[in-house]
Amino acid sequence: MTILVHESTRVLVQGITGRVGSFQAKVMREYGTKIVAGVTPGKGGTTVDGIPVYDLVEDALCEHKVDLALSFVPARFAKDAAIEAIESGIHVVVLTTGGIPDQDVLTLLHYAAIKGTMVLGPDTPGVVSPSKCKAGVHPDRVLKQGHVGVVSKSGALSYEVCKLLTEHGIGQSTIVGIGGGPIWGLTQGEVLDMFEGDPDTKLVVMLGEVGGTMEHETAAFIEQHITKPVISLIVGRTAPTGARMGHAGAIIEGEGETAESKISALRKAGSLIARDPAEILSRIQALGV
Amino acid sequence: MRLLEFQAKRLFLEHGIPVPRNILLESSSNLENLPYPVMLKAQVPAGGRGKAGAIRSVADANEAALVLGELLNTPIRGNLVRAVLAEEKVEAQKELYLAILIDKLARLPVIMASAAGGIDIEQIARERPAQITTKYIDPFIGLSDYTVRYLAKRIGIEKDLPDLGKLTRSLFDIFRGYDCTLVEINPLAVTSTGLLALDAKVVLDDKAAYRHGDLFRKLEHEKTRSQQANSSKAERLANDKGITYVSLDGDVGMISDGAGTGMLTVDLIKDAGGEAANFCELGGFGGKESMQQALEVVLANPRVKVLLISLIGGLTRMDEVADGIVAYVEGHELAVPLVVRMCGTQEQAGRATLQAVGIKAVDDLPTAICTAVETAGDRDDNSGS
Repeated sequence: MTILVHESTRVLVQGITGRVGSFQAKVMREYGTKIVAGVTPGKGGTTVDGIPVYDLVEDALCEHKVDLALSFVPARFAKDAAIEAIESGIHVVVLTTGGIPDQDVLTLLHYAAIKGTMVLGPDTPGVVSPSKCKAGVHPDRVLKQGHVGVVSKSGALSYEVCKLLTEHGIGQSTIVGIGGGPIWGLTQGEVLDMFEGDPDTKLVVMLGEVGGTMEHETAAFIEQHITKPVISLIVGRTAPTGARMGHAGAIIEGEGETAESKISALRKAGSLIARDPAEILSRIQALGV
Repeated sequence: MRLLEFQAKRLFLEHGIPVPRNILLESSSNLENLPYPVMLKAQVPAGGRGKAGAIRSVADANEAALVLGELLNTPIRGNLVRAVLAEEKVEAQKELYLAILIDKLARLPVIMASAAGGIDIEQIARERPAQITTKYIDPFIGLSDYTVRYLAKRIGIEKDLPDLGKLTRSLFDIFRGYDCTLVEINPLAVTSTGLLALDAKVVLDDKAAYRHGDLFRKLEHEKTRSQQANSSKAERLANDKGITYVSLDGDVGMISDGAGTGMLTVDLIKDAGGEAANFCELGGFGGKESMQQALEVVLANPRVKVLLISLIGGLTRMDEVADGIVAYVEGHELAVPLVVRMCGTQEQAGRATLQAVGIKAVDDLPTAICTAVETAGDRDDNSGS
């Protein structure tokens, strides 16, 4: 099983001819991901590393079956590209782009909700089920197939944790980046719900951060719906109030938005708490997964 | 970017939202002809100005000169006051709260209103949650007339409905048209002559600056002329170069290639007994140039005793950031020791590049953090003896 992506997931890359898109498409393909097509307006008919490029998503869909669209399109064109992918009926749309204006994100997520499309991001590293499908930019060496589900706001933090787990022989079922916010498509709770129903996932590592109140909603969801063990790490324990810590969403503006308040809510909801990646490792080892 | 009150009120006026008559004062302004008694309001982008003594009532020109002298060039909540807004005093029959903002979890714009205006909305939410009325706005439908009727009824100002309708529509036009993340009127005064926005808070979405010509840049420029943030050299440099930088109190300089891993590194520096001098991250897709700029920014802080570069690349390519480190090191005399942790995308090429100039990158984050914290400690001891 695994969630969101599996062995046979067929991926379309939007913005495949750009500097980042072309490099990452090649890396994903080497990893074994089925990249069936790319789209860049005006570059139809060319290829990137042997992958056919189309002007329109619809043109690509005439020739290929696609399960997931992965976008590297720059911020100012990102909404348009996302609308195109959502309208085409592709079921999962992954937006790696950061810096998309909030009102564009509201519009595209509203459209996705109406069309029943799952959106991951924006500002996400993507999603990977190790050894099966990598629809994202995760460095290969930190990945290993196994049974720990990971959901993270931050790409790099998920690499950090997976690196340590992999080095100690603990593999991952699926690693899902929901993005740096401040507005999210799929939420921590929705991803946890998928992991709860996934036979390949035995426990979940939840990587959160200061800013916003999503972790409180997640805590309530864990308490009511999640039976699998959840280990949470919230970064930004030392972040000052009012400073934006890199991610658009990582800014403490209210009482519920500190690491302390999130950690306490998650602990109350029954999640295990780790202070750092090493504690995540020792907790997993103690659980014997 | 949070606009200053006078900028937000100018925007309100341009869109037909009534505000009290006002004039922006600077140190040389003539105070004789103001419509006394007036309110003097220091222009700083911070809440709680009343409590901080930044809003004062004055009776005549003499008192105004005295208070203006006290306010100008005084730091209020981290900002030096450069401009003061003088405003006519208004008799309010009622003070309301009205705002449009983004509900991040619902992923929708939301309009909030309350009859308990004049105090902080978080305080209203805490003390009188039943007095806040909220309605989501469907992005594809926009603001409906019925939503305004609903708000007017719930906050008990039905007799001012036509006024409220016009004002709310203007507020929504501003919210939409200027890519705001928040527009807030608190208090919104009910007076004998209609509704009046006594305060104005507008936050623009910096990510949308590109589609407003040079408007955001001009507003930012005007803002810095009117209010100077108490910022350090490193902060000013970061702002100029567009580098993400947060000043902290310690002596371990820090650069990361992702926000989450940067926050983790800062937390772990503290756990290891050290204290980070800053938070600085490249935003997940940094290259050679942004690494060079980040080094310049972080090392502009004289408190930095050691620099820890914490890299785990996905989107960020280690070969590219290594080029940035080498370019910086070759062009500058490094005054502090450098500790580099590097792994991830293109790490072999990156390590080789660093090795060629004698920088050995480690693979393990806790090891790098320990080395950095110990080095800062050693340099403390040396400077003490």
